[in-house]
Amino acid sequence: MDKTDRNYTNGEITVFWQPKKCIHATTCYRELIDVFNPRKRPWVNMEGASTEEIIKVVKLCPTQALSFTYNSEVESEEASKVNSPEAMPEARVMTDGPLVLRGSFTLYDTDGREMKSMKITSLCRCGNSNDLPYCDGRHRKIGYTGK
Amino acid sequence: MEDNTATNTNPEVRILKNGPILIKGLFSFKDSSGQITTGEQELYLCRCGGSKNKPWCDETHKTIGVPD
Repeated sequence: MDKTDRNYTNGEITVFWQPKKCIHATTCYRELIDVFNPRKRPWVNMEGASTEEIIKVVKLCPTQALSFTYNSEVESEEASKVNSPEAMPEARVMTDGPLVLRGSFTLYDTDGREMKSMKITSLCRCGNSNDLPYCDGRHRKIGYTGK
Repeated sequence: MEDNTATNTNPEVRILKNGPILIKGLFSFKDSSGQITTGEQELYLCRCGGSKNKPWCDETHKTIGVPD
């Protein structure tokens, strides 16, 4: 692990970026600019697309500068369900991490206004996200623990 | 979106002002141990990070505050 390496999570998967391997083939942002945007900081926005779409593009990286892992082993079988939205929305509490929501439901902000929700939406549980109410992965930095 | 399972309660998630996350309506809820509860829900989940009874809200936010 190089000190320039970065990781980004949506609660379900973590995408790793190893800049030293990157040859700027531009595949990732041509394919999925809502997630991989080199003009933004952080340049990877894990809320920009579904887990499935992110995985698809990560796998296209020619040098494996981008790679990913499921946050827990159980997630690999879960991920196969992402394609077929289930009748009932699902709320899942991630150990030491966010609340992951998927399926069809309405999300309201603190003023009762309807908010954007993705196929998969991760909500902060640690109270320290810089992108509230969404998770931005900060729970890892602060060492949040919670069932 | 209409589907066969439509009920009177539209599933919703609310970020409550100065408070927890509310999950309401027909949801499949999975806790961190993988235990699944399915059905009509009204769940209040901690989002201040301070509850002593996570994932549930225990009103600790009233002491430590919760950012919006």
